[in-house]
Amino acid sequence: MKETIIPTYRLDMQGEPCPYPAVKTLEAMENLKEGEILEIISDCPQSINNIPQDAKNHGYKVLSIDSSGPTIQYMIQK
Amino acid sequence: MDYFKQFKQNYLVAFWRPLPAVIALGVLAAYYFGLMGTYWAVTGEFTRWGGHILQLLGVDISTWEYFKIMKMDGNSLTRIDGVMIIGMFAGCIAAAFWGNNVKLRMPASNIRIFQALIGGIIAGFGARLGMGCNLASLFTGIPQFSLHAWFFTLAMIVGVYLGAKVTMLPFFQSKFKLQKVACAKELPHDANKVKRFFTIGTIVFIAMIIWALYLIFVANSPKLGVAMLFGSAFGLLIAKAQICFTSAFRDIFTTGRSQMATAIVIGMAVSTIGVFSYIMIGQPPKIMWAGPNAIIGGLLFGFGIVLAGGCECGWMYRAVEGQVHFWIVGIGNVIGATLLAFMWDSFSISLATSWPKINLLESFGNYGGLFMNYILLFLLFLLILKLEKNYRKKLQAKGN
Repeated sequence: MKETIIPTYRLDMQGEPCPYPAVKTLEAMENLKEGEILEIISDCPQSINNIPQDAKNHGYKVLSIDSSGPTIQYMIQK
Repeated sequence: MDYFKQFKQNYLVAFWRPLPAVIALGVLAAYYFGLMGTYWAVTGEFTRWGGHILQLLGVDISTWEYFKIMKMDGNSLTRIDGVMIIGMFAGCIAAAFWGNNVKLRMPASNIRIFQALIGGIIAGFGARLGMGCNLASLFTGIPQFSLHAWFFTLAMIVGVYLGAKVTMLPFFQSKFKLQKVACAKELPHDANKVKRFFTIGTIVFIAMIIWALYLIFVANSPKLGVAMLFGSAFGLLIAKAQICFTSAFRDIFTTGRSQMATAIVIGMAVSTIGVFSYIMIGQPPKIMWAGPNAIIGGLLFGFGIVLAGGCECGWMYRAVEGQVHFWIVGIGNVIGATLLAFMWDSFSISLATSWPKINLLESFGNYGGLFMNYILLFLLFLLILKLEKNYRKKLQAKGN
């Protein structure tokens, strides 16, 4: 699934605890143009309950979530 | 074996959904109270750890009132709270290793280390001042019908709000930059490591079960063994569903998300009727002083957990996931709790012990108290929705 998604930007937040990955994601999304994709890399496991939910609440599209390892990858489209 | 593979993937490896997990915690917490005669709590035991460390250092704590209240009898292997926490750690470790979620994560900056330590100390101090953390003064305290838990919880929400304000200041913000990229990042995936980790999780879980069975059937301490099993279930649930009381209330203010907070209220609503039924058949509820200590403690606790990024049970599963940040939070919690024990005698009468222990079931009668608790829970639910709405309104005003 994720091989087919080409992100426009990446936010690599490894090492940052919550809520910063979620807050930073929303900030970054504001700067994207319609249709652009943000790739978020976070190793805060709790982001699994934050980032996708916040993205949906703010009207963005969650394209994919890879949580198979300790570092989680999210693809979010504006 | 296909069905087993499916079971493994869906229940042992993948994350669990938070709402069912919080409801399960509420149900289990009620049964725990029925069987153990005490509520699910962790900070009391952390305070006793601090006491034992002082004893090892040669400090005479026999005259400290707070340790008398906390009852220092025995050790972590002979106390219900103590073995429950061992079970919780085992559950958290199993959850983390099964889910391939263990990685040494170093703090991103010195600011975070400072936040973890200071926040942990403030939260530990506040929790013990308020006679419990997000468990004994909130999630398992409110279903006990103890008014102090309501004081603590409301003050905590104010503290969380202030904490969110401070931690969102530019000084604390992430320094990570947005990068323009042309392809997705390849994340390392080592199938052998995943297998090895899964085995470690299984070994820890089975070892804990054997220990619990030994306590129940051989050592003739069934209560301790059952407490350990309960602990493992609590640990599995909070780790697998990533239940975070800090984010539950904080993120209403930071990103306008209320799912976890409302889930916690629903969990308490479920727990309340369970606890009530045990009280009706004679189990005495745990009631604490409804004094300024609960309010000041709640304020400090709310502020501290947001500064630290996690509360007294949240740091446990994150510490075993290899998040170094939360090792520091845990140490901070024990320091803060011990500090409170040290200072307790200088203000305990004016702030706590001279105030009444108010049991809603005595103030309003059994069924009156029950309904009062549900009315208050409903109002808390509405308050959360209102705060979430406020965030959205502000966002719209900003032009988004």
